[in-house]
Amino acid sequence: MRSDDDAMMKEIARQLRAPLSPPVSGSFDARVMSAVRRLPRHSRFKLWSRLTTPRTVTFTPLSWGLLAASVALFAVIGAARAFDDIQVATKPMVTALFPKTAAPRPPQRVQFVLVAPDAKKVAVVGDFNGWDVDHAGYQAKHRGGGVWSVTAPVPLGHHRYSFVVDDSVWIADPTAPRIVDSDFGVANSAIVVQEQK
Amino acid sequence: MNRSEFSIVVGLLCLAHPILAQDARLSARLDKPTLAAVNAIVDSARISKLPTAPLIDKALEGVARGVNGESIVVAVHQLSLRMGSAKRALASNATPDEIKAAASALDVGVSVRDLARLRAMAGKQPVTVPLAVLTDLVGQKVPIPTATDLVLQFARSGVKDSDLALFQRNVRADVDQGADPTVAATTRARGLVARGGPSPKPSE
Amino acid sequence: MEGSSDGVIVARVLRGDVEVFRVLVNRYRDRYARYAFHMLGNREDAEEALQDAFTRAYRSLARCEDPERFGAWLFRILVNRCRTLGARRGRRARTFVVDEGAILEAAEDHPAERNAWREEIDRGLQQLRADQREAFLLKYVEDMGYDEMSQLTGVGVSALKMRVMRACDRLRELLSEVHSA
Repeated sequence: MRSDDDAMMKEIARQLRAPLSPPVSGSFDARVMSAVRRLPRHSRFKLWSRLTTPRTVTFTPLSWGLLAASVALFAVIGAARAFDDIQVATKPMVTALFPKTAAPRPPQRVQFVLVAPDAKKVAVVGDFNGWDVDHAGYQAKHRGGGVWSVTAPVPLGHHRYSFVVDDSVWIADPTAPRIVDSDFGVANSAIVVQEQK
Repeated sequence: MNRSEFSIVVGLLCLAHPILAQDARLSARLDKPTLAAVNAIVDSARISKLPTAPLIDKALEGVARGVNGESIVVAVHQLSLRMGSAKRALASNATPDEIKAAASALDVGVSVRDLARLRAMAGKQPVTVPLAVLTDLVGQKVPIPTATDLVLQFARSGVKDSDLALFQRNVRADVDQGADPTVAATTRARGLVARGGPSPKPSE
Repeated sequence: MEGSSDGVIVARVLRGDVEVFRVLVNRYRDRYARYAFHMLGNREDAEEALQDAFTRAYRSLARCEDPERFGAWLFRILVNRCRTLGARRGRRARTFVVDEGAILEAAEDHPAERNAWREEIDRGLQQLRADQREAFLLKYVEDMGYDEMSQLTGVGVSALKMRVMRACDRLRELLSEVHSA
């Protein structure tokens, strides 16, 4: 590989590092603030303090309607949970009366590898271990030359995961499909574990 | 709705909270207001027959990443909306894995219409791996229409999941070597569809 | 407020004080305008990308995981905006005939201040592929390490090194004659 830090590159970089003159047009700050003011204002809605601070509440017909809707929602949720609970409670009886012919499919052992020469600790976190950075079964071992690996059980199906280096730096698996997550603005990796045939 | 009315609604949901089953991991790691809000979303998803495990996992991921409670609630809510759209697009017999993979695809900008097209093209074959590959291609800046067309071609040609996985690894390796992602993906795809199998591994 | 850390200002904004966001704009505007200009090649696009980045940063401020490093987070948003705008401009360029040189000259507010060498550098930079230009700027102008660049762009370190190397080779090729003159 050719050396790229010769005098010409340094000179080019020096020129490019010079500040723009002027850096932006005079109205730039005003335009940004005008755009920002049009957006919904941030506010910390401290739910607990709102609920516990005594205040006078005015009930409008709409409030009564919402109250009724909330009670109905509460009843539906309770009924759904009761149905689930009944299913769970009767499952042993149903299983005994109608035994399943297929055995549950065990998780597959999957090898995770990361090259991180400067790391002191590498863990695998994902939806298969509750994103627990201290989960005993998912701590990678250093194999030498900056290569870390762990072979761990992963249930069949689609999963999201990441490496965590030194308990602080999250790194997506460079070799795996990536999921760029708009929820937390980070990239995770995807793995689809299928039964070995 | 004004704040009083909202407080009443959330208050009632919080009253319902002790009756509703909670994931013990969430109870241990979320503060009470966040837990109440997340449980409400999870229960709403359960009623809609959406998988709830991904929502709980999303909340746990947020805790692990040190994200604040408000952002966790927003993230779980957004995911539940995406899963709802995914399920409608893929039809009611979509598996939880397909719904999860489709929700990720929606997150990077794949349309509901294209999810439905993929479902139609794949027939009875699961679409979990094709969706994961599609999400990865778009994440690597292959334009969405190009990436979608490639994956639809794979589905039409009956390309196996194992070959798709190798295709994805080959494209990533090519991009890591400096290739343009679109060129790498379309080149590798040509080989995959033409031969009915994966292209050779990238040369050193 | 001017001397307060990013974390303190972000906390104020999140509590509803929108006006204090101006301090962050002022703090990062000049340096990031330079990056956007070099990436996109003209002030108009650069200001559009930068304004868009600030607006998006404000909108998603609650999701900034480390408010003390707001600047780095904002920069990541800007890098992505420059990619999007650059791609859009590339599509426009394929539809209409574009004279890059004319655009550079037309966008200049003070052409008299810029010497010929600097103009050639700007021209050469715009002739690089967008991903190579991005890698070159991050490495040589923003002074980032490859690991940091990899975190920012999501691209592997070896691919980034390749892009920087190719950018240097191309710039050397384009600018050697001018430099020696």
